[in-house]
Amino acid sequence: MKHVVEVGDMKVCGNGDTLVTHALGSCLGLIVCDPVAHVGGLLHAMLPLSKINPQKAIANPYMFVDTGVLHLFKQLYELGVQKKRLVVKAAGCGRPLGNNEMFKIGERNYTVLKKFLWKNSLLLEAEDVGGTASRTVNVDIASCKVIVSSNGEKREL
Amino acid sequence: MIRTELLNNIMRKVKVFPSMSGTAAKVLALLDDPDTSPSEIGGVLRYDPGLTANILKLTNSAYFGFASRIASVNQAIVLLGSKRVVYLVMASCVNAIMDEEVIGYDLPPGELWRHSIAVSVAAEGLVKELKLPANEEIFTAALLHDVGKLILGYFVKEDLEKIESKAAEGLPFQEAERQVFGLDHAEVGADILKNWSLPPKIVSAVRWHHDPDSAEEVSSLIDVVHVANVLCLMIGIGVGREGLHYEPSPSATKRLGLKPASLEVVASQTLQWTNELVDVFESEKDI
Repeated sequence: MKHVVEVGDMKVCGNGDTLVTHALGSCLGLIVCDPVAHVGGLLHAMLPLSKINPQKAIANPYMFVDTGVLHLFKQLYELGVQKKRLVVKAAGCGRPLGNNEMFKIGERNYTVLKKFLWKNSLLLEAEDVGGTASRTVNVDIASCKVIVSSNGEKREL
Repeated sequence: MIRTELLNNIMRKVKVFPSMSGTAAKVLALLDDPDTSPSEIGGVLRYDPGLTANILKLTNSAYFGFASRIASVNQAIVLLGSKRVVYLVMASCVNAIMDEEVIGYDLPPGELWRHSIAVSVAAEGLVKELKLPANEEIFTAALLHDVGKLILGYFVKEDLEKIESKAAEGLPFQEAERQVFGLDHAEVGADILKNWSLPPKIVSAVRWHHDPDSAEEVSSLIDVVHVANVLCLMIGIGVGREGLHYEPSPSATKRLGLKPASLEVVASQTLQWTNELVDVFESEKDI
């Protein structure tokens, strides 16, 4: 079955399922899969840190990278994934043209993710981040295969 | 301006673009008259019960946050002010044309409308967050900023390769449009709104929403629409073929006194209110 992950949302699912998220601009698309347990999840987080709007983070932790990533891993562990088998991939984190600090939300999203992974001794296996493109991500849970499309082109991550 | 056959074709499309509905045009004209009383606006709307129902639904939506139920247009005018009610009338009237698919920019049906509502919500959020003086035109200017894409999209589709190769050299997308066509979607949008007789402040905010520093007169209205638009593209609401290939103006953010935290606060509020308002418009279609 195909599940769509909206902006500020996260879904986990099992064998035979695919996950898709559209319109990743500055947002982070984080894919985590266990190829043996055949369980995986996709997060589409909008902003780096939940402290910017703690109330919103309680209502929707997936809007923020810090709370969203934590919830994604928690849910996957509850479904029986093993850390050493996890495949972690990231897409998105783009930014508009120019060098205006104000609009580097994508880079800040990426930094918060990397800090979390580093603290938890996890590595990013692949990434397609930065630039001005809007990306769509498709994940096949059974194979952990991730396809990123932008500007009418598709590539495997 | 480069006068080419292509440009003439674009301008011909602008001329035949649908006009606003009779009721919207009538209430808009009333705004020009400083002596207009709320009951006169209510009087025009009385003859359009569908529109009246829409206005009441919108006014009663959680977005406006009134504690008690608003039961009449006159009451809505007292609470929101004549201008805002007239602009809600306009929003109801342009919903149908802006809800369509936008080719060229690859926006599926409903996505331009969602983006337009999101930019309106983000623009009003920025005004509140930055404690800028209230500006009644802001919602409408933001709502209509991309109306030019509805016309230019057909031409963008034909010349996408040329535009994208200019953009790949580092030009912002609207600048690439200008190099290929002699104008961009912001200018086309402003021309449509001139034909609709919208106030010059709104026309100017639409015209310069990608290039606020080139406006004849810089204003917080233009700057706010400019920033809100980039923000909504970044958070993926209505982001199309061109992605984030636009350049936010450092002068505009400086003029507004914008800080990264303010931008993120507004971003965190925008999604929910956008969904809320889009749902109200969706449910209007069932009336």
